[in-house]
Amino acid sequence: MTTTQNRLIDRQFGPMAAAYVESRVHAAGADLDLIAARAAEVRPSVALDLGTGGGHVAYALAPHAGEVLACDLSAGMLATVARTAAEKGLANIRTVEADVRALGLDAATADFVASRYSAHHWTDLAAGLREARRVAKAGAPAIFADVVTSGVALYDTHLQAVELLRDPSHVRNRSIAEWTALLRDAGFETLAVRRDRLRLDFATWIARMGTPEAHVTAIRSLQEGASAEVRRHFAIEPDGSFLLETAVFETVAD
Amino acid sequence: MTPGADGPEARPGETGMTEGSGMTDGSADETKNRRGKVDPRLLELLVCPLTKTTLSYDAGRQELVSRSARLAFPVRDGIPIMIPDEARQLGEDE
Repeated sequence: MTTTQNRLIDRQFGPMAAAYVESRVHAAGADLDLIAARAAEVRPSVALDLGTGGGHVAYALAPHAGEVLACDLSAGMLATVARTAAEKGLANIRTVEADVRALGLDAATADFVASRYSAHHWTDLAAGLREARRVAKAGAPAIFADVVTSGVALYDTHLQAVELLRDPSHVRNRSIAEWTALLRDAGFETLAVRRDRLRLDFATWIARMGTPEAHVTAIRSLQEGASAEVRRHFAIEPDGSFLLETAVFETVAD
Repeated sequence: MTPGADGPEARPGETGMTEGSGMTDGSADETKNRRGKVDPRLLELLVCPLTKTTLSYDAGRQELVSRSARLAFPVRDGIPIMIPDEARQLGEDE
């Protein structure tokens, strides 16, 4: 089951790699600025980007780190990241195809860990966080940013449904409470949680993933049939654009 | 996957990655290095994802070999593929 899901991720993201490199949602943001600022303070020898996707965290870390290890399950994504890093003159980014649950890195390798918009694809978030902790040095900053749910079942169900229809490799968006518990259990002390909202332009959001038309229709149907509370919560617009909740967890490895 | 399998399985005297004869040296052009053979600085950080033991680099076959797991992890376009399902099972004579 796991391998199938991993291959699904590669099949889903490999062909869309260029779109993720170009994506404005992914290429900028306060969370990315925060990761870069922390890295600038710490000046890590080895910084780890878990689920690098279009490589934006790796590009942000590279000027401040000795080496950046950009890990992902998608070979297509990694090839694009390697090429883009070369184009940007970022010679210290190394790409590794790996599963976050078993990274193939030695214990206490990284003195900085970051992951952004990736964890909702992880089939076992708890195991991924434990592995992140294993490869992190004690005291290493670790910053995790992702889309989160409010923790209210009504909104949670709507979000997971539209996410899965858009992207068959979607696993789950977690609540802040779930995140902090999993981080604690994995051995990360949460220092701060920054909440934000992110507007997604529907047409761009769909195009970036190459969502089949039948699924686009289903998402629109779900949105149009949603209750007033759900429509208000996600600020669903006439064209399907809506607001997501995001969170950045600033932690340190125990 | 086996997140708890990181036992002390490294063989005595095995302190790090074994570099194959075709290894690019550290002064090689970064872009060429990135596209072809795996980066030597990266090799120092990698271990077998299953056993967490050291790997040996076969530059000729472009593989990272885990003796303890009896697996050879491919390196494609300079990118190590540390996924056990993508690895080659070592033959009895290897």
